[in-house]
Formats: sequence, structure tokens, C-alpha cells
Amino acid sequence: MPIKIALTKGRVEQQVVPLLEASGIDCSGIRSKGRRLIFDEDPVYETILVKGPDVLTYLNSGAVQLGIVGSDILDEQRNPQYAMLDLGVGRCRFVLASTSDFDPQQVSRKIIATKYPNITKRYFQSIGEDVEIIKIEGSVELAPLIGLADAIVDITETGTTLKENNLHVYAELQPVSTKLVVNRLALKQYQPQIRSLIDALQQTQGVNAQ
Amino acid sequence: MKNRNLPSGTRDEFGPRAAVKEQITAKLLAILKQRGFEKLTTPILEYADVFKPLNLTNNRAYQLLDEQGEALVLRPDLTLPVARMLSTTGVELPAKWYYSGDVFRVKKQLSGSYNQISEAGFELVGYGGLKGEWESLMIALAGCRETGVTEMTLELSDARFVASVLEALPVPTPTKQALQQALFAKNLTTYQQISALLAKTPFGPFLAEWPWLFGEFDDVMKVVAKLPAIPALTPVIDDLKATAAFLKQQAPSQRVVLDLSIPSPQRYYTGMAFRGYTQNASDYLFSGGRYDDLLKSFQQVKEPAVGLAFDVDALADKVATPATPPQTLIYFDADQWQLAEATLARTPNSTLCLADSREEAERIAVSTAKQLIDLTESR
Repeated sequence: MPIKIALTKGRVEQQVVPLLEASGIDCSGIRSKGRRLIFDEDPVYETILVKGPDVLTYLNSGAVQLGIVGSDILDEQRNPQYAMLDLGVGRCRFVLASTSDFDPQQVSRKIIATKYPNITKRYFQSIGEDVEIIKIEGSVELAPLIGLADAIVDITETGTTLKENNLHVYAELQPVSTKLVVNRLALKQYQPQIRSLIDALQQTQGVNAQ
Repeated sequence: MKNRNLPSGTRDEFGPRAAVKEQITAKLLAILKQRGFEKLTTPILEYADVFKPLNLTNNRAYQLLDEQGEALVLRPDLTLPVARMLSTTGVELPAKWYYSGDVFRVKKQLSGSYNQISEAGFELVGYGGLKGEWESLMIALAGCRETGVTEMTLELSDARFVASVLEALPVPTPTKQALQQALFAKNLTTYQQISALLAKTPFGPFLAEWPWLFGEFDDVMKVVAKLPAIPALTPVIDDLKATAAFLKQQAPSQRVVLDLSIPSPQRYYTGMAFRGYTQNASDYLFSGGRYDDLLKSFQQVKEPAVGLAFDVDALADKVATPATPPQTLIYFDADQWQLAEATLARTPNSTLCLADSREEAERIAVSTAKQLIDLTESR
């Protein structure tokens, strides 16, 4: 039975495929995928392409053994599996951002818009503040501009989107990067294969770092 | 009634699945009964306090309030109620108890997981020696064998190992804690950064392998041998080796693996822990170990204890559902009741057909694909 990898489609997929190839996994199918979602070109690993939040759903049920997903999603969903390896790609950071007239010391209860309510809640708990959180599905930058919220908690890589919307960073929260996640029991069931994949990925990273 | 849906995380069980689970539970309980264990039943509802020592990681318990406003839970575990019972009833020790029942854990909604898990298990209280672990293992092996699970891998671990090694490392406590956290989360990136500090010490070669310290018993022991002498480890290693030798003698074909890189299943574990899985299972089939600190949550005095619980649902997933032969319906007139009972008693897999006419009986037999014995024919 092949080992199944749930790979986050989109940007993560583009950044990770070269790493997987350098580690000896045949990704020719993903490179020319068309509308396919299951790729069995490699004799050992079968890759499926899914949305980020679904990686953990597949992984937790044991339907796949490995997952590749951003740590933003792992943190938000309180991942119970093993996030074994930082793949060194998809690096960005959570920030608290808002318009220039935002006062972090304001006395009233702040309203924070975000796609990541759990991460936001934990951050404000850690600094001893209670805020009202509004869950937004996309274009979070809009919320303070339109007056829905006082500030936002979101991910930024270069800060360009924030700048274009005249938003400033008021606090830096945890960093984000893409992780290789392993189902706890699968690590035991497929120890030699998973270890050699991790060793190969680490070697690739070592080469890249030089 | 408008809402006829089940709450998230629950299901009805009927037909073959229900039969298989009932059969598995009966087989497990028969083993325990035969070995002289006594039955113990605790309530499904308990005060939330009973489960304070329990770490449910990402799950939580169903909670409600009693008449006085105190928090009650549907039991998320079957071991702590046994400890509560022992601490309040003055039962003479040592004692051997067995139990079966459902536990309830609220898992992530809409993720396809079930919140009600059927377990069957036992607690061995008052015996401090290795014989306690060994009887537990014998029951674990018998349970898998009797319920038809083949190719089970038995995993041993020990709650004392990680703590003893960390204790011996020449680094400050916060570094030890950070290393333990990375080790338990199998976060290799962070683990390697911290362990690099110790690469040049005698612990270096062992630390490089530690996150991977699981697998075939002898292979793991070879890595353990790279450690400098740590006196606190000697009894741990001796117990594990003696147990592996015991298993080799009692069950020569049983695959035994060792994991010395994981946390113990619960905080109250104090010694050896054991779990079983199969190559394509997504859950452990059973889990147990020694927890001499179990009763400490309820009373001042410690009592040695070993216990183990089988996951009946996981076992049922492994067992092929037996194909049941078609059932036979016995149709009869009301005044033929005695004859009907006699026919029922001697016809395997049969049931009385309570239809009021021959036509209806035939219709039922056809629509449910059953055979029909018509006792009215012989009149």
C-alpha cells in the first residue's frame, strides 16, 4: 500500500513540489496535473491535493499518513499530530495591523477581524486583554477600512498588501512556515519510509541553505 | 417531533456491526471472568472533578449540571472512576476488577469522528511487581487472539525513561523542558537546534537518534546502549528486557516493538505502558500500563495499579463481519404455540413469524429473503 501525502494545493504545492522532487519523489503528474487530484506516479508515495484546513481532517482520520500544510492552519486548528519538519518555505508572520489612527492603548474593548479566531484569542489572552473577535473569510484588510473592526490579525509575507491598504503593523505575532505533518500511528507503521523521506528532505534543505 | 437527527458524533448501531461488537465484548469479558477478575460497574454520570487528572488533549467531556449546580460529565474514561471507587469504599486490596462500557469524548465537530467509544478492560490494584504487567500483557494477547485479530504489533514504553535521561543531561531545567517538548511533539527542527548544544557531550550520539527511538526491541536497545551510565535507568531497562524475554517465551511469534521517545499516555502513569496496533489500523486496539499514582488524586496513600482497556470499536473494525445464513421464519396458528416453540428450539437461526395469515407470512418471507416453515400445513 502506498503512503499517502495530503498536499495543500496552490502556493504551498508550488513551493514544495521542487523539494519533494529533490528528495526523489516523482511529481511529474502534479507538474502537469490538469484537473486531477490524485497522483500515483511515484511507486512509494501517493499524493492528493486538498485545501489547507482539510489536510488535518484527512490526517486525523488516518486516511492519509503525511500532510504538508502551513503552520497557520496547524496553530488555528490545534493540530494533534506530529509537525516533524519545518520545510523552510512559505515563511511569513502573523501581525496585528490597522489604520494609522488605531490606538493599541484604547480603553474600550477592541473589535478584531480575522480569518484565525483561535490564534487571535490566544494572542490577546497571552497579553491579558479581552477583545471581540469577528470571523472574516477573506480580504481581511477591508475590515478596519470600512469600520467593521478596530484592527485585524492576519498573515503577511512582505507587508505589501497591508501597505497598499494603508495599514500599519502594531504587533508581530508568531511566525508561519510550511510543515511536514505525520499521523502519530502512521509514523510507527511506516517508520523506515517516513524516516528516509525526512532525511532526504533535510538534506535538500541543507543544500538549499548553503 | 421535528428534530429526528442524531447529535454530531453519535450513531445508531444495529445489525452485523452491533452483533460483532457484542460478540467481541463478550469474548473479552469471558477471558477476564475466567481469570478470576470481578465485575465492576460505575455510573455513566460522574462529577467533573473525578476526571481532573485526565488529559484529553484536543477532546473534552460532555458537561451538564446537577440539581445543586455542580458540574457533571458523561464519563470520558473508565479508569479514574475505578480509582474513585477504591478510595471511597475501603475495598480489600489487592483486587482485580473488570468492566465494560462506553466513554464519551467530544471531538472536533463534522470531522467524521465518533464521540461515544466502547471499551472493555480491567484494573489490577495492589500488586507492585512485574507480574502485574505480565498478566496484563497475557490478557492483551489473549484478547486479540480470541477476537480474531492477527498480526498485531505490541508496543512497550516506559514513563520513567524520558524523565531519567533528561534528569541526567548537563543543561539547565528550561533547556530540558524545551527539549522534552520538542521530543514529544516530534518537532525535529526545534529538537535538533536544542540537542546541537549537547552534540559534543557523551550524550551526543544518543540524542541524535532519540526522536527516532522506536521500532524493533533490539534495535532500540542498541541505541540506548550509546547512553553514558545513568543509575536511574537500570531498573527501567531491566524491566523492559525481562518483559521482552517473558513475551518471547510465552508468545514466540508475537512482534514486540519498543518506543522510548513518547510521553506516557496519562500523567498518572509511573512505569511500563503497552499498546497494540495493526499495520493498517488508524487507532490503537488496546492501551494500558502501570499507574501507581492513580489513587493519589483521590487519597493520600499510593497504591500500585496496572490496567488496560480494549477499544471495542477499533477491534470491531479489524474483524470481518461474519455472513449470517438466511433466517428461517416459523409461521403457525395461535393454538399451535407449543409446537412453534419446539420448532424454534431445534431450528438454528430461526424466529417466530407473528403474521395473522399465511399470505402475510409469505409476503414477509419474500420481502426479507427468508425461508418459511409453515406449521399450519400439517393440520
